[in-house]
Amino acid sequence: MSRGDIAQRGAGANGSQPRPRPAANLPALGGRRRWDLLAVLSRGAAATMLAAAAGLAGFLIHAVRQAGGGSADGAPHAGSGLWETIGPAVAGTLWFVLATAALALPVGIGTALYLEEYAWPKTPRVRVFQAAIANLAGVPSVVYGVAGLVLLVHGLSAGRNIFVGALALGALALPTVVATSAEAIRAVPNELRTAAYGLGATRWQVVRHQVLPAAAAPIATGTCAAVTRAAGEAAPLLVIGAASFATFAPAALGDPIVSLPTQIFVWAVRPQPEFAARAAGAAIALLAILLGLNLAVLVLRRWLRRAFP
Amino acid sequence: MTRPLFSAGGGPGARADRVARRAFLACAALAGGTAAAVLGVLAVGAVQFFAQVPAGSFFAGTTWAPFAEDPRFGVLPLVAATAQITLGAALVAAPLGLLSAVYLHHYAGRRAGAAAEAAVAALASVPTVVFGYAALNAATPLLRLAWPDAEAFNGASATLVVGLMIAPTVAFLGREALAAVPPAFFHAGMALGASRGRVVAFVVAPAAARGLAAAILLAMARAAGETMIVTMAAGSHAGIAWSPLQGVRTLTAFVAQANLGDVAPGSLDSHAVLGVAALLFAVTYAMHAAGRALLAGRPTGTSLP
Repeated sequence: MSRGDIAQRGAGANGSQPRPRPAANLPALGGRRRWDLLAVLSRGAAATMLAAAAGLAGFLIHAVRQAGGGSADGAPHAGSGLWETIGPAVAGTLWFVLATAALALPVGIGTALYLEEYAWPKTPRVRVFQAAIANLAGVPSVVYGVAGLVLLVHGLSAGRNIFVGALALGALALPTVVATSAEAIRAVPNELRTAAYGLGATRWQVVRHQVLPAAAAPIATGTCAAVTRAAGEAAPLLVIGAASFATFAPAALGDPIVSLPTQIFVWAVRPQPEFAARAAGAAIALLAILLGLNLAVLVLRRWLRRAFP
Repeated sequence: MTRPLFSAGGGPGARADRVARRAFLACAALAGGTAAAVLGVLAVGAVQFFAQVPAGSFFAGTTWAPFAEDPRFGVLPLVAATAQITLGAALVAAPLGLLSAVYLHHYAGRRAGAAAEAAVAALASVPTVVFGYAALNAATPLLRLAWPDAEAFNGASATLVVGLMIAPTVAFLGREALAAVPPAFFHAGMALGASRGRVVAFVVAPAAARGLAAAILLAMARAAGETMIVTMAAGSHAGIAWSPLQGVRTLTAFVAQANLGDVAPGSLDSHAVLGVAALLFAVTYAMHAAGRALLAGRPTGTSLP
């Protein structure tokens, strides 16, 4: 179990495993459903969760509307609308999503394939390696930022740019990508493999034509959840060094770090209320992007399920 | 489960097979190299730090003032703040998450269950910087309505919001633990005429105890490593706070704030940041590993008829 598994289950019904069957729909013995203490308490807890989610959304919308999408005096974008101020950060976040996915997904899925399909039977050394990688998912994101700063910015003088930030986010997402992919590969029925090997297929042919198609949907769901979670992280990018005022949208991987999460932090800690409203607007934009990505993954998963039944 | 060990020697596709094996091995090496690089940076930094600051004064010192004229590196105030936030958040998230798990698995009807699950999933996908913004601008003003002497940056509102942040983790992992209990346990209890609440509390929950404990432990590991909420809402007060209404500074908040101030590379300050980061790494890695060990040792229920 790793943070990735948690994040993936956080996506609810689109986890790699079948959703646990609720025990709630067992008919109440004795005819009527009794209202016991636990029924009241557990309903209260669920209602609290619902209220917290609704309250957060309502609070953000209220904070933006209160300012009327307004302008901040003395800020470089005085007089311009909300979109002009957060546009560069939106573009930066999309850069980070793409770059993190391009770095973490091939390496992570390839590692999982090696560990589950090639390193077989698993020697103790392979088991220790796999457990060590999985436990890295528990390490806080800020630590990856520190490692990226010391190694890439100070050590290799790579600069504080989007590529270095994406390397840190990719390293952050990697343990989760490996763990969820490995879990999805393990869930592929072994009969598929033995039948293919029996027909004389090579290991690559088994992976290419049996394992990957069968595991494609859960791999896509779990790994994309890890990437979107990494793209919502502010701490590693702040540690590496994000631009505090983004005046233009990044156009290349070598451009300075601009991202919605870092902008939310920079604006939120300023005392002026205009900046608090901007932070709320950026937060809504970030949540909308993450929601859109999650929906896109749902569509992709449905397509993969249909393409590889 | 066994898998064939052989691979076609020189048959068709053997060349592609060799290329693919090397490519996947390279991926695994790259992943291992990334992990080793992160670990190596922290290890080298920690060694350099402890070469200048004795470990005794680091782990037992009660004053943390790395940027002062006469720098002190006693990490206990930071550890106390992290422990305060982590345990406090667990006090919020354990009842909320476990009861939500019970609701989702044992009480919810189809429609209400879907709504509750969507709400929990939505909370789980909110980035922590958004939670930090809400802690600063919503939770703290509300808290100061109730307790006017609360500081503008205080541990209580950060603790509360971190608790809300990790509650979905407890809820989803807890539901999985409940679902792993054989249905026969539940049915047997109900057949004896006990109410649903009694069966869940005295039959199902004890059987799922390891999984439920693991859910709380894994969530606490996230709370201990949480950075943005505490950086934004808990302040930068360096001493040990005896009241939750005071500001506190956690291990993660120090790492974030120190780097925001752009510490010169190679200085004692930068080694202090790496020392604290290494401590953070060790603590969260151990908590996560313990949670996973609890999950791995979970009985599957197959020993019962």
